[in-house]
Amino acid sequence: MLDELIYALSKDPFNPQLNFEVAVEYEKADQIASAVSFYLRTAEYGKEWGDVYVYTSLLKLAKCFNEQTDRLTTVANCLMQAIGYDPDRPEGFFLLSQFHERQGNWREAWVYARIGQNVSGDDFGYNPLPTDVGYVEYALDFEEAVAGWWLGRRDESIRIFNELLSMEISDEYRQAIEANLAVIL
Amino acid sequence: MNLVQKAVEQGGKLAPIAIPNTFGGMNPSVFIDKDGDILVNVRVVNYILYHSENKQLYPSRWGPLAYLHPEKDQRLVTENYLVRLNSDLVMTDCTKVEMLELHQPIWEFVGLEDARLVYWDDYYLIGVRRDTTTNGVGRMELTKIALDKENWVAKEVDRKRIPAPVPDASYCEKNWMPVLDRPYHFVKWSSPVEVVEFDGTQTKQVSVRQGIQPAKDQRGGSQLIRWGNCYISITHEVDLFKNYLNQKDGIYRHRLCVYDDQLNLVGLSKEFSFLDFRIEFCVGIAEYQNDLLISFAVADNAAFVLVTPRVIIEDLIAEALDA
Repeated sequence: MLDELIYALSKDPFNPQLNFEVAVEYEKADQIASAVSFYLRTAEYGKEWGDVYVYTSLLKLAKCFNEQTDRLTTVANCLMQAIGYDPDRPEGFFLLSQFHERQGNWREAWVYARIGQNVSGDDFGYNPLPTDVGYVEYALDFEEAVAGWWLGRRDESIRIFNELLSMEISDEYRQAIEANLAVIL
Repeated sequence: MNLVQKAVEQGGKLAPIAIPNTFGGMNPSVFIDKDGDILVNVRVVNYILYHSENKQLYPSRWGPLAYLHPEKDQRLVTENYLVRLNSDLVMTDCTKVEMLELHQPIWEFVGLEDARLVYWDDYYLIGVRRDTTTNGVGRMELTKIALDKENWVAKEVDRKRIPAPVPDASYCEKNWMPVLDRPYHFVKWSSPVEVVEFDGTQTKQVSVRQGIQPAKDQRGGSQLIRWGNCYISITHEVDLFKNYLNQKDGIYRHRLCVYDDQLNLVGLSKEFSFLDFRIEFCVGIAEYQNDLLISFAVADNAAFVLVTPRVIIEDLIAEALDA
């Protein structure tokens, strides 16, 4: 598969979609340094606006650097570049909120969750991303609740968590919410 | 047109080399040993080269070209992996080369870098090491490898640091190209072609000849191998520059070099790229089943072996000799 993609790429080396597909294959094989180069080429040779491959690649770059650990400046830089590329999509705000939540930067996590909710609340809809980046439509609410608890918004957090539990959410989120509620209630 | 496209269109093949349980590999050096095995040494590092191309709209925090090491560990650490490929270029064996612990590294560049694989009475990795002084003085090192093919285990059993010829005062020696059929001989410099021989203790200059004069400095490079009635190697040339923010950047391109029996540089092909990346690097070539295997990496992050049909190499040689 990778051989065929690389050959196709050799005939059309600046094709953003082909570079993206090569990157995805490397990422599947856990060769994330290799994936980085091809995601970055996707971004640099993609359209200057409105291209889901560019946007997704910038998010994926952040993911790859995050997996390498101890590259926080670069992870944040990649997420900021994704948001700068398309500030009307929620996924980048979610990942930036999650990034700050995991650093214990509660104010930043809460603010980016709120901004993400704002852009995800419009009526325009979005083109789906070509691959999963970890975003689900209730993810920003979850981040708001988690960060909010640390900022003194206890009652609001409990309310949001309970609202989420009443929705159809993934087991991963359900278990996380239940664990959080068990601690804070 | 890039070389990969040309090679594959004419019956060649490109094989990615992925080292399991690492984040990638770079600067592979291919070699065919006396058993006919396709061996490749692959450099694995703890950093990711971040290189923005095209309009460079998405640079790193430190600019379009940056070595992104861990933020709490500024070292750029290299390990070497020895792999064996079958005739379809599928990896059948892979092992990390266990290096002797002869000293505590005392500079940020740690390990044997860009090692070329050769066999001169034993297997050797020949690369540059810069971790033995506090200011990063680089010297080529000859690392003898004991390779247990049955269990596929590779261990360094001896190491010699190769001095530059007297007065041995340069700061960094690297990218010397080993001459495969002349043990312990290297092309140290390409313009003029400087051939040196290491006798186990000292390095003496064997010859310095101008030959043809490349427009740009040619740097090693693959091994020099015998090809018909000449020698060939692949060298690189680099444009290093800074953008308007004074941030570093660079473009690497390669050429095929042709040498006569006295190792005079008699031909130089036009520049070419492998996959149209701005940073690519080749440290290995080997003749295999009448074709040429070329090992190279792009952006320091992904390693490949390219089967290049003989006709393409002959065309490159003809182009080089016509230049």
